[in-house]
Amino acid sequence: MMALALVAAACGGGDDDGEGGGNGNGGDDGGVSVEDLTPQAVLAREAELTPTPGGEITYALEAETTGGWCLVEAQLAISGIQVARALYDTLTAPDENGEIQPHLAESVTANDDSTEFTIKLREGITFHDGSALDATVVKNNLDAYRGAYEGRAPQLFVLVFGPYIASTEVVDPLTVKVTTNQPWPAFPWYLWGSHRLGIMAQAQLDSDECNTKMIGTGPFMLDSWTTGEQLVAVKNPDYWRTDEAGNQLPYLDRITFVPVESGPDRLTGLRSGEFDVIMTSGALQIVEIRKDVEAGELASVESDQFGEVGYAMLNATKPPFDSQTAREAMAYAVDRETYNDLRNDGILTNAQGPFAPGNVGYLEDAGYPEYDPEKAQQLVQQYKEETGNDLEFTITHSGDPETTKTAELVQQMGEAVGAKISLKPIADQSTLINTALGKDFQAVLWRNHPGGHPDLQFVWWHCNTEPPEPCDNLVNFGGFNDAEINRLLEEGRAATDPAEQKEIYENLNREFAKKLYNLWAQYTLWTIAHKPNVHGVMGPPLPGGQGPFPGLGTGHPVTGMWVEQ
Amino acid sequence: MLESRDSTEIVPTPAGVSTVTAAPGADEAAHRRRMPIGAWLAIAWLVFVGGAALLAPVLPIDDWKFGTFRDARDGWFTNGHWFGADESGRDVFSRVVWGGRSSLLIAVGSIAIGVLVGGFLGLCAGYFGRRTDSVLSASFNIMLAFPQLVLALTLVAVLSPFQEEDPPTRWERVRVMILAIGIVSIPILARITRANALAWSQREFVMAAKAQGARSMRVMFREVLPNVIPAILSIALLGIGVVIVIEGGLALFGVSVSRPDPTWGNMIAGEISDVQKQPHVWQAPALFIFVTVLALNYLGDFVRSRFDVRESAI
Amino acid sequence: MRTIVRRLIQLVVVIVVVTFFTSVLTRLLPGDPTTLIAQFATPDEREELRAELGLNRNVVAQYGSWATDFFTGDMGTYYAGTGVRGEDVYDRAKIALPKSLLLIFYAQVVTLLIAVPLGVITAYRAGKRVDRWANTVAFGLVAIPAFVLAALLKLYLGLEWDLLPTIGWIDLTDDPVEHFRHAAMPVIVLAVGQIAVYARLLRSDMVATLQEDFILMAKSKGISNRRILWRHALRPSSLTLLTVAGLNIGTLLSGALVIEIIFDVGGIGSLIYDAINRRQYFALQSLIALVAIAYVVVNFIVDLLYTVLDPRIRSARIA
Repeated sequence: MMALALVAAACGGGDDDGEGGGNGNGGDDGGVSVEDLTPQAVLAREAELTPTPGGEITYALEAETTGGWCLVEAQLAISGIQVARALYDTLTAPDENGEIQPHLAESVTANDDSTEFTIKLREGITFHDGSALDATVVKNNLDAYRGAYEGRAPQLFVLVFGPYIASTEVVDPLTVKVTTNQPWPAFPWYLWGSHRLGIMAQAQLDSDECNTKMIGTGPFMLDSWTTGEQLVAVKNPDYWRTDEAGNQLPYLDRITFVPVESGPDRLTGLRSGEFDVIMTSGALQIVEIRKDVEAGELASVESDQFGEVGYAMLNATKPPFDSQTAREAMAYAVDRETYNDLRNDGILTNAQGPFAPGNVGYLEDAGYPEYDPEKAQQLVQQYKEETGNDLEFTITHSGDPETTKTAELVQQMGEAVGAKISLKPIADQSTLINTALGKDFQAVLWRNHPGGHPDLQFVWWHCNTEPPEPCDNLVNFGGFNDAEINRLLEEGRAATDPAEQKEIYENLNREFAKKLYNLWAQYTLWTIAHKPNVHGVMGPPLPGGQGPFPGLGTGHPVTGMWVEQ
Repeated sequence: MLESRDSTEIVPTPAGVSTVTAAPGADEAAHRRRMPIGAWLAIAWLVFVGGAALLAPVLPIDDWKFGTFRDARDGWFTNGHWFGADESGRDVFSRVVWGGRSSLLIAVGSIAIGVLVGGFLGLCAGYFGRRTDSVLSASFNIMLAFPQLVLALTLVAVLSPFQEEDPPTRWERVRVMILAIGIVSIPILARITRANALAWSQREFVMAAKAQGARSMRVMFREVLPNVIPAILSIALLGIGVVIVIEGGLALFGVSVSRPDPTWGNMIAGEISDVQKQPHVWQAPALFIFVTVLALNYLGDFVRSRFDVRESAI
Repeated sequence: MRTIVRRLIQLVVVIVVVTFFTSVLTRLLPGDPTTLIAQFATPDEREELRAELGLNRNVVAQYGSWATDFFTGDMGTYYAGTGVRGEDVYDRAKIALPKSLLLIFYAQVVTLLIAVPLGVITAYRAGKRVDRWANTVAFGLVAIPAFVLAALLKLYLGLEWDLLPTIGWIDLTDDPVEHFRHAAMPVIVLAVGQIAVYARLLRSDMVATLQEDFILMAKSKGISNRRILWRHALRPSSLTLLTVAGLNIGTLLSGALVIEIIFDVGGIGSLIYDAINRRQYFALQSLIALVAIAYVVVNFIVDLLYTVLDPRIRSARIA
């Protein structure tokens, strides 16, 4: 859901054959078979192993979460989500088939027309500070997320939930009822929210140090946090889950999260033994990691299933990309094959639309324009004729070296067909996000839309106003107000029949390929690389026995991780 | 300022100014009144680099902005690229030449400001002495109280915020850097000029000129300045080298000219987070910086030892 | 005594001016700093922020309150959003500054350990081959920018040959071996830059000293060359070197800033880089002031020591 994630222009790549989605192409370095690195393959291999409890790991993430973890108000990127997975639980969680299951909740049941949701909690769960997980604190959390709780002011979640939830109610000490303003079959997905909707203890919810004093129900408890240095999380001895053999979870005693912005440095640290686990989506690192895995020096798991997509987000509210001609011109101008080769070593897959393999709505061919420089040139000319202006714009992008080089490549390709492009690097994430919010860009390199249910993307695209009025949705950063897309989103939200849903979202996919509000690059491929003696990265089965979710775009559970002693 | 590297300094000692001397040969040659081979080599290099930078637009070299994608990441001497190509297939040699354009412009520009403003102020301070000197020296000392890189950083920030409506063009950023580094270099050049001017002002012929009733300023420019010029020239040459390195430091902080416009500094800064990926892309500008600074140091030292016999060298 | 008092007053004045300049840094930035820092705030929140940051008062009043805060240990906070308290700059600086200082200290030690013998030997063999080679090498080394050397070491020593770790910092108390291994590369880079200068300085002073009478006396008494060099000649020749070493600490601080970024040390340099990137201008002010004050104070102390220790210099100083 709210993957206001990093802005490296994509790197992702699923092989689009077979069920469950594939994982990256073989790339150019043979060796390790990438099929061995899918979550499914890794889980199968580790099924026979017996976890040993105890041990500590150092986990290198790609960024610090400077704003802290006041979950209701935070804008967590993947590094923040990964830490949240250690400290908090969500009411629901997706399973191996991409279906949503209860997690912290014992059950989430909808009424016939999906306007009332009864959330029944499990007994006996306590927060890290000893307080009980009961209906009152859950109701308060949900109210906080939807902007109806005194003292907390969510900027983004209020847009997701605010207009659509009518009320929350404590039915009994372990039951909360949520009533929505319209039928919302996908609501249970939102209770997961890409693991952003963790449940905080009352003490944290009411504290003015909400962002630094984290208290959840998660497998680990906050021990200390020194910004920019490390965050130490220690085992929660009273965690509510046990493994299938009845052993107390989690296995690890301690996780030390360390922010290391540079991908190459993270890999170096892993290779030198300083880190036990790293996460990265940098294609160049992934190529190196595959070599190490083949040599037996490292282990890893890769996935772009249910993943994000990288793209250039165009601002449809102002020139030049308020013009379909201009958008088409740039779509035809970018040679995605070459782009993929140069920036991703060819290991990712070009995206046809926002839905990655595994997601409902995914299409191998949605009609996205193929590279055609002559056509692009014609369109640039046409734009000039239509508006009297040259096709001139700025590409805004994250300031890190790799993204900068990607932006330069796009600039070259665009200028080769006659556009005039300048670059604007933005060094820090929050400013980048604010730039998007303020629509202070013409084109920005972006990444978003991790999967699960496609209705999760509703919040990013839907407008309540009708065109040609401006879109009222603040997080539709590109600002497009498209009648067709609005309609499809609304229909998709209300649809209960899977076949109907599939058709609606596939049509949505095709609509994007036609209107080109976003120029898709590649699906993001995430990898968790680690020392060979670390296991259990994908997590234990869900409380209901289902297998764990094979996506990595929203991090992965740490509950089941263990180290060979 | 005027550090040949980030951590050395032109140190004021009781005897004047000391630096690491030029390679042997400079001193002996000075006595023989013939230029050593080293000086010729240094001049040749500087002419080459400076000339290439100046003539870049008309030189028959590849485009610095557009690459042949097929050549991406080619190493040294492959596919017609002397210095290889970068991640978009752009010719590194061409980028080094164009990068030199920006880097040298910044270096020469800032030192020019330093020499003109700092030199003039130092001359006044040394020549007029007393109150003028106290006031000026106090200002110099205060500016010198800042660590130079930090001061340069601060000034760049102040003179142009990191975030503007439209991204800064290369020329806008170059202008800011010349001004910022120029300001930083003023007190150093001023102090050295002052020291020299002070010494020369106490010589008899200067006193004589003053006694004859010539106007102060005139005496200063006619009698003192010419004698101070060798020292200024020497320091200026060294200073240009130092500023080239400072530009690199600022590029690492992200405040130099923005990519894709190349400077020697930002070419290195762009690779610094992954030095292994395409080492030739940073090694080429690094080599140019090294040789240029070497040449400037040599010449600067040569000028000093040749013309400034009064100085007690190391 | 009077000189010391005068110098002390000068020091205070310089600190005031230096901190004044940094404290008004944000005012000098074109545009409204609140838009730079809190881009998406409402006009009310912006007013609150302006008041909080003292931007509404006149420059002197702002400096006054900034100075009272700063010199009592309150270095401000990082801006984390309205209503949320960001981390204290002091807390981060407290951790970062010792790392930078340790780096500089190690660099000085390493430099002296190499430069002193080198200086002695080249002085002893002045004019001969060793001396000329050392001179050329020194000359070459001085021309290598620190960040280039850092990149070279990182690539070859670190990544290709895998001898030393390339990033990060381990505290001495956590793991002494790893502490020194992680500090090794940044220290080498910083030291290399100095060795040439120090060695040449020592050499020139020693060459002069070696020509003095008391050395000839010692030789005629039959004392070995080695003893003469190390016992009799070294001490009087080391004055300039020690002075420069002291004065250089301040400059090393500046040089260390860039090195820290490259090796991800987490010292003051890394903090400054981080503050620039995150547009945390108020934190940046405090950090710059901290570095500037450290620089000024160190130079002052060394300057004072120098004057006190060597009376014959006091009157002869030009600069």
